[in-house]
Amino acid sequence: MTEPKLSIVDLTKRYAADLDPAVDRLNMEVEEGHLVALLGPSGCGKTTTLRMVAGLMDPTAGSIVVDGKEITHTPVNKRGMGMVFQSYALFPHMNVEQNVAFGLEMRQVTKAEQKARVAAALDMVQLGHLGKRQTKELSGGQQQRIALARALVVEPTLLLLDEPLSNLDAKLRETMRTEIRAIQQRTRATTLFVTHDQDEALDMADRIAVMNGGLIEQFGSPTEVYERPRTHFVANFIGQANFLAARVGAETGRANLAGESHYKVEVDGLGQFGAIGSTGLSGSSHELVIRPHRLNVSLHPGAAQAPLAGTIERVSYTGDALAVAVRIGDQQLHAQMLTSSGDLPRIGDAAYLSWAADDAYLLPAAAQPVRLAA
Amino acid sequence: MSSANASSAKIFKPRFNPAKPAFGVLVFLLYLFLLAPLLIVFVVSFASNQYLSFPPEGLTLKWYEMLPQESTFMEGMKVSLIVAVIVTLIVLVLGVPAALALDRFEFRAKAAVQSFFLSPLLIPSIVLALGMVLLFGPLELNNTYAGIIIGHVAITIPFVIRTTLMSLATTDTSCEAAARILGADSWTVFRRVTLPIIQPGVIAGGVIAFIVSFDEAVISLFVAESGLPTLPVQVLRYVENSADAAVAALSVILILISLAVVVVVERVMGLRKALR
Repeated sequence: MTEPKLSIVDLTKRYAADLDPAVDRLNMEVEEGHLVALLGPSGCGKTTTLRMVAGLMDPTAGSIVVDGKEITHTPVNKRGMGMVFQSYALFPHMNVEQNVAFGLEMRQVTKAEQKARVAAALDMVQLGHLGKRQTKELSGGQQQRIALARALVVEPTLLLLDEPLSNLDAKLRETMRTEIRAIQQRTRATTLFVTHDQDEALDMADRIAVMNGGLIEQFGSPTEVYERPRTHFVANFIGQANFLAARVGAETGRANLAGESHYKVEVDGLGQFGAIGSTGLSGSSHELVIRPHRLNVSLHPGAAQAPLAGTIERVSYTGDALAVAVRIGDQQLHAQMLTSSGDLPRIGDAAYLSWAADDAYLLPAAAQPVRLAA
Repeated sequence: MSSANASSAKIFKPRFNPAKPAFGVLVFLLYLFLLAPLLIVFVVSFASNQYLSFPPEGLTLKWYEMLPQESTFMEGMKVSLIVAVIVTLIVLVLGVPAALALDRFEFRAKAAVQSFFLSPLLIPSIVLALGMVLLFGPLELNNTYAGIIIGHVAITIPFVIRTTLMSLATTDTSCEAAARILGADSWTVFRRVTLPIIQPGVIAGGVIAFIVSFDEAVISLFVAESGLPTLPVQVLRYVENSADAAVAALSVILILISLAVVVVVERVMGLRKALR
């Protein structure tokens, strides 16, 4: 493997000696040209990590290495990075061109070259015609693009994005995330992207670092963190999930080339099922994760083999989706159904659930004591 | 429920609301009350009365013609202008960084430092003035420009700190972080980003400091009455000795100067925005 663009080694930040660290011995490697999302709830340490990489905050311990050079204590203005802030942080007293040119001016680029590069950067974000405008005359989405142009025009070593989409309305947010991703792929800028929005992370990132309590719970591709969550937190935070406490019985065979096995598992009150998980889980208790849309729901028995019979407790219809909560014994399972123009299922109707063994995933970490749902 | 009330209120709303003209009259009377002294001074300055009194017996420009010959006024004006200009420069140079430090840094006794800087607003100036005379005596600062200037700096710095802090409170600190990341060193960040953003507050503070210093009588009277009288001190002396309307004419000139300063600053940099 080639040398990583960014390595973070045991990075730690403690705001006060008597507090838990905000970031706790964090390790991460980012490949050149990748967009890595730091994803987690507020207070998980993602923004602190980004600010340490930017140099806006001093780490308590650990090191940050970019292109093989340690920059842990390099001053902010010597790191050559580009950053887009949640508030955009455009200079209110400068027009659009002056904003974008600021970083080039600091690098003592000639006037003529500044002009050309500013124009190219503004064209890249499709705002070439707004160069002379004052920034406060622009819409949120336009300000966002100017901020992106300002960060990218200096050809930064790393592009740092701090919740750049959270001040935009829902429709615009989706457009901008496609656009930011396209620009990032075109410029091949290695990017760290802080977000609390799992959809954003799944849609945009090459790798996702799911953070919680100052730690990375899992670092992997979007499909890895979604399909193969390592912990309860990851499974719960990314997408929706049903959790069932399962006693893992015998291995029933190799499931795939990734070294996973099929198991027989037993869930209290529901019975015995097939499941998939990493090898060597037999004989202990693990949590079974089933995504709502992987549950087959039928309103009539007999469609699937040995379905679980239950009662519909809740129906949530949002036009393109139909979610139901089904009570089976003392378990409530969430499932998704296809919507049709016909009658909606009603509360109290009988429902029959089944799932494929490959869609019931055993978390590798030992089952943890029940936590309060977030 | 409240919306139902509101809509019924709309339906039965009388076409003529007597509260509106009543409010207008009230506002007019309030302004009249506030501006009456100024108006009277203005009228008196054109009155031909022998002594400072109201109402006027006739109209004249003689008090205005007298002013250039009154050397004490001209001397006082010179002293006051020199003091006010230097005081304004000093309080800006001291006050703006002080406000920045108070806004941006956490340090021990921050609240105490903040109160200390603002305390001259709360202490009667006569107490301050007395203290200064006693302190300046052994330092040989009485009756010097340095003495007056130090006194005025002490009472005007709270204004600059206050207005600058107000501007800082509404600025986005990310702008400074953005500039640093783009390669600017601390001084460049201050010069190119922070200062332009807080400029309205700084200008407002400077204007207030200038006017307060130019206008200040108590400290000037105590510290430099005999040796270096400022314009307010000269006015005071003049009123003690003579009772003609030349001071009224002078007052009108001073009002016009202050007005001119405010109008020019408003036109050039937008004081209204600064004092918002």
